[in-house]
Amino acid sequence: MNSPQILTRRSFLNHASILGLGTAVASLTDIPFIMQRALADGTIGRPGANGRVKKLLFVFLRGANDGLNAVIPYGDAAYSTANRPSLYIPPDAGLDWKATGDAYTAPSGANTGTFKTAGGQNLGGLALGNGFAALHPSLKFLAPVYNAGELALVHRVGYPSQSRSHFDSQNYWETGAPRDGSVKDGFLYRAMVESGLANSNALTGVSLQSSLPLVLRGSKAAMTNLSDTSRYNLLGVPNTAAGNGKADLFLRQSNALRFADRKNRDLLELQYNNLSKTLEIFAGLDFNEPIADAENTDGDRPYTLFPTSNATNGGYAANNDPSKYVVPTGSYDFFTQLKAAAIVLNKTDAIVAGTQIDGFDTHSDQGGATGTQSNLLRRIGWSVYALQKYFKQNADKCRWEDVVVVTLSEFGRTTVENDTNGTDHAEANVMFVAGGGIKGHVKGQRSGVFGCGTADPIAWQTGQTGSMFGTEGRYLRRTYDYRSVLGKLMRGHLGADDAQLARIIPGYAKANQMLKSGGIQSDDGVRIAGEPDLV
Amino acid sequence: MNSSRFMRCVLTATIASLGAIAPASGADAPQTPNIVGFRVAPLGPVLDFDPFPSTSEYQFLRADDPAGPFAPVTGTVSTDFSWQGPVVQGDQGFYRLGAKTLSPDQLAAANLLSRVGYGPSPDETDLVGQLGIGPYLDRQINAEGIDEDLDVAPPFVGSWQKVTATGPGSASLIYIYLDGQGDVYVDDMRLVAGATDNGSQPNLLKNGGFESALGTDWIASPNLAGSALTTAEVKAGAASLHVVSSEAGSTKDSSIYQTITPALSSAKTYTLTYWYHTTDNSTHLTVRLSGSGIVTTESASGMLPHPGRLAPKLAAAQSYLADLRAWHLLRALQSKRQLNEVLRQFLENHFVTQYSKSNDYLDNIGYTSNLSQQIATQMEFLENRRWATALLDPAVTFHDLLQISATSPAMILYLDTVNSHGEKKGDGTYNVANENYARELSELFCFGVDNGYDQGDIVQLSRAWTGWSTDLLAPGKENNPFATRSTVYLDPNAVTNKTALTNRVGTWSLRYIASHHDPRPKYIFHQKDAAGLPIAGSPKVVPARFGQPWAGRPYGLAITSSGNGTNTISEGNRVLAHMADQPFTEEFIVVKLCRLFIHDDFQTGYDFTDADTSPEEDLVKAAMLAWENPPGGGPKGQLRPVLRVILGSDLFRSTLSTQQKVKTPLEFAVSAIRALRTPKGDGTFTSDTDGYSLQPVMSRAGLMLLFNRAEPNGYPETGPSWISAGTLAERLRFAQAALMAPGDRPGGELDATTFTDPVALLRVRQPSAISNAGAAADYFLGLLFHTEGEANLAGLRALAVRYLDTADDGVTASLYSSLSPGTKAHDTRVRGLVSFLLCSQRFQEQ
Repeated sequence: MNSPQILTRRSFLNHASILGLGTAVASLTDIPFIMQRALADGTIGRPGANGRVKKLLFVFLRGANDGLNAVIPYGDAAYSTANRPSLYIPPDAGLDWKATGDAYTAPSGANTGTFKTAGGQNLGGLALGNGFAALHPSLKFLAPVYNAGELALVHRVGYPSQSRSHFDSQNYWETGAPRDGSVKDGFLYRAMVESGLANSNALTGVSLQSSLPLVLRGSKAAMTNLSDTSRYNLLGVPNTAAGNGKADLFLRQSNALRFADRKNRDLLELQYNNLSKTLEIFAGLDFNEPIADAENTDGDRPYTLFPTSNATNGGYAANNDPSKYVVPTGSYDFFTQLKAAAIVLNKTDAIVAGTQIDGFDTHSDQGGATGTQSNLLRRIGWSVYALQKYFKQNADKCRWEDVVVVTLSEFGRTTVENDTNGTDHAEANVMFVAGGGIKGHVKGQRSGVFGCGTADPIAWQTGQTGSMFGTEGRYLRRTYDYRSVLGKLMRGHLGADDAQLARIIPGYAKANQMLKSGGIQSDDGVRIAGEPDLV
Repeated sequence: MNSSRFMRCVLTATIASLGAIAPASGADAPQTPNIVGFRVAPLGPVLDFDPFPSTSEYQFLRADDPAGPFAPVTGTVSTDFSWQGPVVQGDQGFYRLGAKTLSPDQLAAANLLSRVGYGPSPDETDLVGQLGIGPYLDRQINAEGIDEDLDVAPPFVGSWQKVTATGPGSASLIYIYLDGQGDVYVDDMRLVAGATDNGSQPNLLKNGGFESALGTDWIASPNLAGSALTTAEVKAGAASLHVVSSEAGSTKDSSIYQTITPALSSAKTYTLTYWYHTTDNSTHLTVRLSGSGIVTTESASGMLPHPGRLAPKLAAAQSYLADLRAWHLLRALQSKRQLNEVLRQFLENHFVTQYSKSNDYLDNIGYTSNLSQQIATQMEFLENRRWATALLDPAVTFHDLLQISATSPAMILYLDTVNSHGEKKGDGTYNVANENYARELSELFCFGVDNGYDQGDIVQLSRAWTGWSTDLLAPGKENNPFATRSTVYLDPNAVTNKTALTNRVGTWSLRYIASHHDPRPKYIFHQKDAAGLPIAGSPKVVPARFGQPWAGRPYGLAITSSGNGTNTISEGNRVLAHMADQPFTEEFIVVKLCRLFIHDDFQTGYDFTDADTSPEEDLVKAAMLAWENPPGGGPKGQLRPVLRVILGSDLFRSTLSTQQKVKTPLEFAVSAIRALRTPKGDGTFTSDTDGYSLQPVMSRAGLMLLFNRAEPNGYPETGPSWISAGTLAERLRFAQAALMAPGDRPGGELDATTFTDPVALLRVRQPSAISNAGAAADYFLGLLFHTEGEANLAGLRALAVRYLDTADDGVTASLYSSLSPGTKAHDTRVRGLVSFLLCSQRFQEQ
């Protein structure tokens, strides 16, 4: 065939019928966007029978979270004051981490006192009921989500030949392709391309942070970053109500004008119209309005779901009582962004939205039940709780069962505490996965903890030569590849088919990676469990 | 009329009285306007059609017989491309639709302005017209012939400016101060009762003319103690006040002040007038009454933004990334050598490096935070300045440009050759060389992805690169890669000692560490055995698809012995020389240049032996041949012959190039300021920027972070990568803010150092449009969207005229011609119109 020409909508249809689509196009983004959805495989971005689309909300925990102090392996005696003098968190006195069969049971009453232990203090690890693991006390607000069976905790997650460079390892998580320099774009970007909607929907992948993260970057479609939702409106000249109206009026009228065919004109016309549509949607959204919980929290009163000021932070406002903050006061920017991400998923066609939390690189003074990491974990715990409540109480386009919340973090931290009361870069880590459709804890039947229990497909080896020292004699050895976790979500939740999954996460195309069913990864000879049964 | 009784037949043809018909590409390119409907209405025949590219006029012809003769018929064309013809009495007729298109020269002129430069400006448009296409292109290609040195700032010329302000007498104290270190001259200051100063009222200030010593009339606070009467610059009389500030003032204790007697009345209105003379050392001058009844704050700097003011500090590692970006943007905006500016950005983006990675490296070895940022910035600057210099060499080759990149410390750090070891270890095995640079050299800088190399070649290449490191070399040694590290200036134990490095003497440069080199033979681009190892003596050959003169050529590179010690640096150089002129490189670079200058749909992998070739494929081959055998002789790979083929091609002179690409955020921001920029005659321009305030939009509208891209594949050129609802929102906000008068902008939107003044532009270039809506619409449409063709702009023109003739609500009639020039209402109307045009879809294209 000839070299590519100007493919207009019309000529493409001619082409397609003459040549057969298989030879006419190399990939979805090589064809006009108008056809992309029609030709896309899988169901990413496609409404189900209920008319709603499956969505994903990601939070990148930058700096590398210490998974061993987040989901604590009490079942391993190597989790000890000997190995972690200042970091060690004792089991909570009121809860028996060895008890099996049930997750720990909260006192009765909707959220009332749910997570407070005797005396109202949360100083100890909160048993997860699998006879092995417990939550950091600062993650107590995960408990109602866990008890509802809507939270999975996937432990011992990593990838072959783990990099201990923040830069490289964050890149690998975001590209979905560890140690593969040929993959330069983000895996969620590729998922959006595979939906066939990346160049036609107003919003597909959206980040709410200072700039677009690599996980959403790529060269064939522009994902959207909203550093500040208040910028998502236009101005007028003059910038008065009338002037803004005039600018909007004339923009719409000029959008309706016809021009001769050129490359990119279909794209521009469509995205200008998308801009007008989303501006309307955004104009009707109030990103600043507090969203209240429908029930009391901690036996107090209904708290605001997304705390963005002292007054909306837990029960502080009633008596100016700082002990009633649910999250640290330094986390308001994050909750502003998280709230915007939730609203964008709930109120627009966006399929993926996300943001990040910085500061997990706790080389010194990490703290135990309280302190630096504790304060970061409080953000995670309340986030997942708030998102669950938001998507249950305030669902519009997206209900809690339509969304999966997933955390990413570049690696875990050293098993043994360093000499500055902190931890250094290591290997395997924990991922938090939540959503109404997540197959989590079912009382008496299954645990919501993967990779940190007594019934794992690849057992947690205990002791000073066990799993916590399984890599290079120093680091927690992986049992799950992060790509298996993400791959499971791409296929089982977002709706990628196998061919798409192999493009979104290239490791799925390589037999030696064992991502789906598990086995020995030949890069470094470590056996992995394949996909956890999350969805 | 019963149409069924008559047969009417419509034929189509393109009539091109202004020039030749645009050459078509392939079977699907439109040859003639597409007729989508024809019907007979009571008022006559109606013909609906699709707009045809770059059409200045549609013609409708009729004949009684299909054989002709066809004669023009009158009628009206709606802005929605529907023609209403006159009622024809009688029976059948045959109609023909034609389009007068812009000529190839006119299209080439448009492409020269929007692709070979950062968008049309009024003056550059004139220059293309005056010189003609060929001479203008020659001038751009032979850029050394354009007299310009943007590294040297023009000499400062100060001038006297008058300030007038009116307000209540809030207090009887008047202050003069600057908002930082600097100086300015002030003269002939008057404060009079009333709302105007007619010159005859008594001056309420003592010694306002600054003709006698300050004495006790004016008291200078310590931060202004250096201030004094001077005769160096004088507006009136024999002397003026030279205000010299050591730090910012704000109130009585930090100003030159006078207590006014008798006291002013807060119930009365007063008028303050004074003159100030700009200097090259000024910040902002404030003169105000205590209580701020009357306040004036003026930018007292007479300096216009110029890259030459930034270059010396950048070269000396005394500047930051924002300064480098400003330098880059100012060159893009101001340079007459527009092609070279486009090419330098192309090179910077092709040979991508990342400021942050250099900064991290320098920070880790112990530099203070400021200095590591400044040196990382300097690395990027020096690399770019080398390219700028090389581009002025008439015989510059791709190899020259590649060599600049390969030896740049920024590249050595970015792709990890800095610490790449290949030497033998104690256990007899060899260190494994870092493959990053070898991979990107193949995939991104020379051959293109999967084009003539494999993973085994990357392994072999990476060994040749071991030892290419970077270090601080002493002054005068920066071009000697074998010079020893300058321990005079850099403590080798800085990291261990945790001593902060604060010395910036010397230059970070290529330094070759022979002891890191892998001395084993390398068989690059050779056949592989079953184990994937190269087979000596079996070089790969150029695939058949390249055709002659390339097909079948062996292109293996066997490096079997390069001597010892520092001689082994030659291996890396041999690799560069070898790869620079292989057909894979020729193809990949030519394709990228064609994507830059023609349209996005060029690709590597053409079968050049195919009998059925497209114009795109033919152009790539022609440019590759110019690379292989430059028509003027000399070495392979000369850039200029290749550019001549591409920019002289029929494709470049056709509608297949014009407006076929989307602007990157860089092109968008610079082109907006350029479009409205012409000298006002007083040394200033009708639009300008300091280069700093353009940077936020580039980040917001798609994260185009100049000099700091994280991924090694450079920023894309394609539309879908930049255009989404979210990025468009930021582009439109920028266009709207840029057209507001700076004082009218919402807080935090766009700094006042970027401004446009479209009314001033009209005054200079089209005075007749000051009060004529049609003329104003025509002027701006012609400036911005000329290549659409007049006939295709009718709809936009109607909107533009309506914009000018309606009030701020866009509905109420308010004739532009009835607005008084010089008023805010008139100014705002024109600003609004231009903002509307820059917000339109068409301005996103080039």
